[in-house]
This record gives sequence, structure tokens and C-alpha cells, in this order.
Amino acid sequence: MTWLPGLPEADTDWGQLAAISPQAVAALSAVVAAAWEENDPVLLELARLRIATLLGNTAELARHTTKAKAAGLTDAQVADLAAWPTSPRFTARERACLSLTEQFVIDANGVTDTQVADVTEHLGAAGCYAFVEAVSVLETFQRACLTLGLESVPGVDELVEAAAHDDVTREVR
Amino acid sequence: MKPKIRLPSERVNEWGLADTEGLAPSIAAARQQLRRVAYRMRSVDPVTTELVRIRNARYQNCFF
Repeated sequence: MTWLPGLPEADTDWGQLAAISPQAVAALSAVVAAAWEENDPVLLELARLRIATLLGNTAELARHTTKAKAAGLTDAQVADLAAWPTSPRFTARERACLSLTEQFVIDANGVTDTQVADVTEHLGAAGCYAFVEAVSVLETFQRACLTLGLESVPGVDELVEAAAHDDVTREVR
Repeated sequence: MKPKIRLPSERVNEWGLADTEGLAPSIAAARQQLRRVAYRMRSVDPVTTELVRIRNARYQNCFF
């Protein structure tokens, strides 16, 4: 539960935040939705879960997106995610993205030319750019939730759905 | 600063940074909207906002 004082009553932490700052919450939802719109959902879900593990974000780890499962992500991959460097369940493409994601979260300045080249080899330059932007969005979102103590927040599916029906989102598309 | 990825052009924007216009357009538009909303909130004073921005830039080695 969030530690923010004086918030109005709502069913969730996210709802409480939305009650005092609806435009900011809607705009944040739109950024997350855009990240999913421009990237392979399997790669992004692996990145999202890995970021949650690195940040100790247990609430985020408990959430899953149907987009990724529909696109081919397996429960076995999710269970094996911590072993991505050596597990045979991950492709070279997925490993390249996870390697860059980990370094980005630990220290973005430490991302190497080799890591970027590996991702670019699989996704192309534009795809690499979109992936890095998305990782940045996911990391920022999770760090903000952790900092504010927001535990009951919507999952990816709900955020994308909310963004699709929101005036702020429509304004930017 | 040399970009780590190959960009569509070698143009630079008004801040002297590599021009990434056209890349990840949905994310760029949504980020822009989030910035607009954040600036309009005015719940944090401009001095604190700028101090945080500069401190964060230094921490991230963003020297532009």
C-alpha cells in the first residue's frame, strides 16, 4: 500500500493516485502502452520480469500479460528467466535483449557497443532504439511504483486497455 | 557523443544531439505528452525541478 498521505479512497493504489492526478496517470499509462505497441511482446515481457527481479519488485513479478503468452512466451521460459545466459529455453535474440536490459538497469553507462550490436543484429537499428526506449519506460514505471509504494497497480493488459480509451492517449496518437 | 546505433541520418537537432525523429514514434509522442502534463502540474517548484534534473544528468553522465 502506498505511503502517500491524504489520498482519496479508491479500490487500488493506482486508483488513489489517479484520483488526485488523472492526467499524469493517464499520460503514464499511455507511455507504457506505446512501449508495448512498438515492441515484440515476448521480448518486452522477458525484460519487464527481469527488471522486476533486479529491482526486487515482487508486485510486478506477480503480474503477467496475455499479449506475451499469445505471442509465444512459455511458462517454462518465465520459470527459467534467472538462468537466461545458459538456459536452452532462450534464443540468441532473447539473450541479446536480456543482456542489454540487465546492464541498462544496473548501470546504463555500462552498456557496451557489443551489447547494442547484438540487439541491432536481431532487431535492426530502429528496433534496437524502440527496445531501449521501452526498457527505459518499464524501468521508470517500476522504479516510480517502488518509490511511491504503489503495489496494487494495473498490469500491462489493463494499462494498454485504459490508454486506448483515454482522451490523453488519443491526443498523442 | 557518438550514437551506439546506426541512425537513419547524421543530422543533429537544436541541442546538438543525434536526430532520432521518426524512431519509435508512438513512444516519443507519449513521452512528449507525459512531459507536457508533468510541466503543467506545477506541484514542484522550478528550482527543485531543475536541481533534480541537473543532479540526475550528472549522475547519468549526460553532459549535454
